[in-house]
Amino acid sequence: MIEFDLLRTGAARPAAGADDLRRDLELDKIVAAASGGDELVAEVWREVLLLADASPDSISYRQDAVRDALRNRDAVLGLYRIANETVDAVRRRVFLFRPHDPAVVVHEAVNGLEVMVASLRDVLAVLKSTAFSSEAFRQMSKSVLDNINDEFLASAQELVKVLRFENGVQFSVRIGELNSLEDPVLLVPRKGESNILSKVLRRDEYVYRLDPRDEAGAYILDDIRKWVLANAASTIFKAFKHLDSFFQDLRRQLAFYVGAINLSGYFEKLGLPAAYPRLSKGALKFSGMHCLSLSISAGSRPVPYDLDVEAEGGFAVVVTGANRGGKTTFLKAVGQSLVLARAGLFVPADEFALPSTGAVYTHFPRREDRTLSYGKFEEEVKRLSAIVEGLRRGDYVLMDETFSSTNQVEASVVAEEVIAALVDSGVNVFYVTFLQDFLNRFLDRYRERAVLLVPEVRQDGTRTFRLVRGKPTPGYALDIWRKYMAA
Amino acid sequence: MEYLSILGGRGRRIDEQIAHDLRIHELLGDIFGKRNDDFLRSLYLEQLDNEEVAVFRLNVFRDLLKGEVLDAVAEFVERVNKAVRILETEKDAYEEHRIGMHVDAALIYTEAVETAWSRLRGLPIESEGLASFTRYLGEIAGSEKFRELGRRAREAAEARDQIKIRVWIEGDRIRVTREEHGEDLSALVDSLFSRFKGDGQGAEVKYIKTTGDASHIHAAILRGAFKMYRTQYDILRRFSEDFPSFIDDGIASFAKEAEFYLIYINYMKSLEQMGYRFTIPSFTDGGIYVRKFYNLLLAKRGSSVPNDIQTDGSRRIFVITGMNSGGKTTFATSFGQIVFLSKLGLPVPAVEAKIPFFSSIMTAYPVEEDVEESLSRLELDVVRAKAIIERADSRSLVIANELFSNTTSDEGLLLTRLFFEELAKRGSYCLFVTFLHKAADLDGVITLVAQPSPEDPERPSYVIAPGRPPAEYMAARIARRYQLTYGKIREVVK
Repeated sequence: MIEFDLLRTGAARPAAGADDLRRDLELDKIVAAASGGDELVAEVWREVLLLADASPDSISYRQDAVRDALRNRDAVLGLYRIANETVDAVRRRVFLFRPHDPAVVVHEAVNGLEVMVASLRDVLAVLKSTAFSSEAFRQMSKSVLDNINDEFLASAQELVKVLRFENGVQFSVRIGELNSLEDPVLLVPRKGESNILSKVLRRDEYVYRLDPRDEAGAYILDDIRKWVLANAASTIFKAFKHLDSFFQDLRRQLAFYVGAINLSGYFEKLGLPAAYPRLSKGALKFSGMHCLSLSISAGSRPVPYDLDVEAEGGFAVVVTGANRGGKTTFLKAVGQSLVLARAGLFVPADEFALPSTGAVYTHFPRREDRTLSYGKFEEEVKRLSAIVEGLRRGDYVLMDETFSSTNQVEASVVAEEVIAALVDSGVNVFYVTFLQDFLNRFLDRYRERAVLLVPEVRQDGTRTFRLVRGKPTPGYALDIWRKYMAA
Repeated sequence: MEYLSILGGRGRRIDEQIAHDLRIHELLGDIFGKRNDDFLRSLYLEQLDNEEVAVFRLNVFRDLLKGEVLDAVAEFVERVNKAVRILETEKDAYEEHRIGMHVDAALIYTEAVETAWSRLRGLPIESEGLASFTRYLGEIAGSEKFRELGRRAREAAEARDQIKIRVWIEGDRIRVTREEHGEDLSALVDSLFSRFKGDGQGAEVKYIKTTGDASHIHAAILRGAFKMYRTQYDILRRFSEDFPSFIDDGIASFAKEAEFYLIYINYMKSLEQMGYRFTIPSFTDGGIYVRKFYNLLLAKRGSSVPNDIQTDGSRRIFVITGMNSGGKTTFATSFGQIVFLSKLGLPVPAVEAKIPFFSSIMTAYPVEEDVEESLSRLELDVVRAKAIIERADSRSLVIANELFSNTTSDEGLLLTRLFFEELAKRGSYCLFVTFLHKAADLDGVITLVAQPSPEDPERPSYVIAPGRPPAEYMAARIARRYQLTYGKIREVVK
């Protein structure tokens, strides 16, 4: 049997909150750059980028295959083109709009088989002349070449001819309950029986000829013919579907790599660095990392970010500081790189090491959250609660101003409890917040496992839009009190 | 001997408004499923006036609920009905078909009778209804005429099994020959293309024949087959000639009437699979003692919280108060359904049920919007109360839901008190659902309250229990409600 899996995405379950992730991290922009308008590439990319599960093995499997595809880009693009053209040709020539008419199914499916058997020859030619190096592509090539040879192609073409049923259908049948005909089995037509005269004269044959005026009879005969074809139609349709899904699978899986080839070109054009992420236990480290979606929108290379956090099992990166400091862009950049890393792709950074391959979740403000009210607070809490339900150790949660829909005193209490519980549970949290109580208390309690990032402000007061390590602002209240009291 | 009806007797059709209030049509919808049988449906709407008939039926249920009796009866009924249907259709069939249909009907019928008799005679049957039928069955099965029927039908079917033909359809010509050593074309396709992966899902071409199996064309093919297989044909043909009709009238009636029991047991099973129980009610001379009864409609659609209700009969008016959406109406309707079912002679959804054999059920539920404006809503309530009082006796069950709620609570309470006094005079039973908490303080009533959930006083538990009407409830903290506490998160994240 021909089996291959260029993606190794398992059951490809979309992550919970995948819609939020897609929107919050502006993944559509990245997908658009990779797909270059090819809807299939876009679809596969969305699927792989939003995977709920990505094991380290599956990630390095895809990374190798991405490297291989970039090296053998002509072969990959060539196979993709053959698969695409085949699927399109089948779509043009095969009309299975009445899948319950077996005669139509057989006729149309055989049309499709004819097209696809011919395309298999082209696939074989490409595979025979390409030396892949990755496990993914090598296995695919081997499986196809092991199962399809010229002999197979010849038999398949012969069978397609028989399935046209140019001399009617022949079948065996029994008499079952209520004297109904049952167990029809479509038979390979017997040779020599086309000589009508010799058959008619034989005694062991009964011939019934439909009266030309018997329209009902003609209709029934057609019905019987379809009934006989129905079982065979399932098998033929199945054969068609098998072959069709071979081409569908092939082009679908290749689409991911076609996207990688496109994005690689895009990186080169923008001068973005490309690093293949590596797993590094207990540390998150990146340097020169860019926000890809911003880069795509701006058509340039935006401000890079650096970070080096050591944390065994769960850490918090808390970001605070004045508005327009690029905090949300930072969250997006981190999220996008994590998502690309899990997909097995290169990321826009000089270096990127991540501590786990857990799923990524975002809790960003919805537009309607901007006012303070318990109704809104409840909505926020409800949304966060839904995320928490699916969380596992090693996952990443990116939170942008969560709990800001109520006053900061009580919001801080909730925030502290939630973030502490997440970090203690081994979840990695990125949290952009203005909650002062939270910042002071949490960063003090978790100083070993949390860092604070603030926008960089130069001596002369200009902003760089970079983020640097900071400390919670100390309380000035007492100072002020004393100052005035002293006065 | 003569056949004695397994139904024991018939009843009177329930009032349409009461059926509506108690949601009987929805209940029957669940019980009947897709089945459309007017005879059965009308039986299910007939409330029995006679306690003895109800007991007769419940005794049949007692027997049937022993699994083996049920299996034997269900299988029997299904087979007999099938044979009857075949004989019906046979009348219009071509001879080539008819000779086979007749054999099949006979095979099904004889097997049905033989199997049922041999099974039922060995089982401990206690009900009058089934014991009488078993004796009847034995008489039929033992007759010489019946045995000969079975032997000849089997012989004919064997002959038919020997026939296998090859048919070649080309244009307007059909040719039939004996078939030997043909090669399966689908198998060939499969062996060539199965090397391509795929589950073939959605490839199933399920063709539904539009012309049936019994046309003149089919008959022509059969004619060809019979020409090739002459001996087998003669055996089939002679069977029909020798046994023109064979189904006994008493057996045919039983097959029809027994569905009354079978359809309900099927329904019971579907709920029992979900963990719910049924019990055979027993009839008291005044007391009510029902343990863990539940709502059938809710149970079927997910979950239903069980409740108890009891009185020794000295007090007969139940006032049901408590939180909104707390299950008060469901409680009252469920009890009404239990009484309805008991008056059909059917097992009821509870763990234990002792109730009077009620003479009638009367209801007063909130009326829908499109009521004529000639009366005010309050007036309408009073009119309905009066109608109830006029018909109520010491074996009536009255279910009132938010009656007298269309006025001030003082006035509503006054009317409620007057209503209760009238019912008490007649010794009627009443379930009175109301948000007038003070109704629970009226003389001689049993007060039941919809209880809040012990975990969350903001939410209902759907438990209705004796007690005082509640004071206000407090709202819980939002974050805690959504499980966002340190402890909960630590528990959830693995």
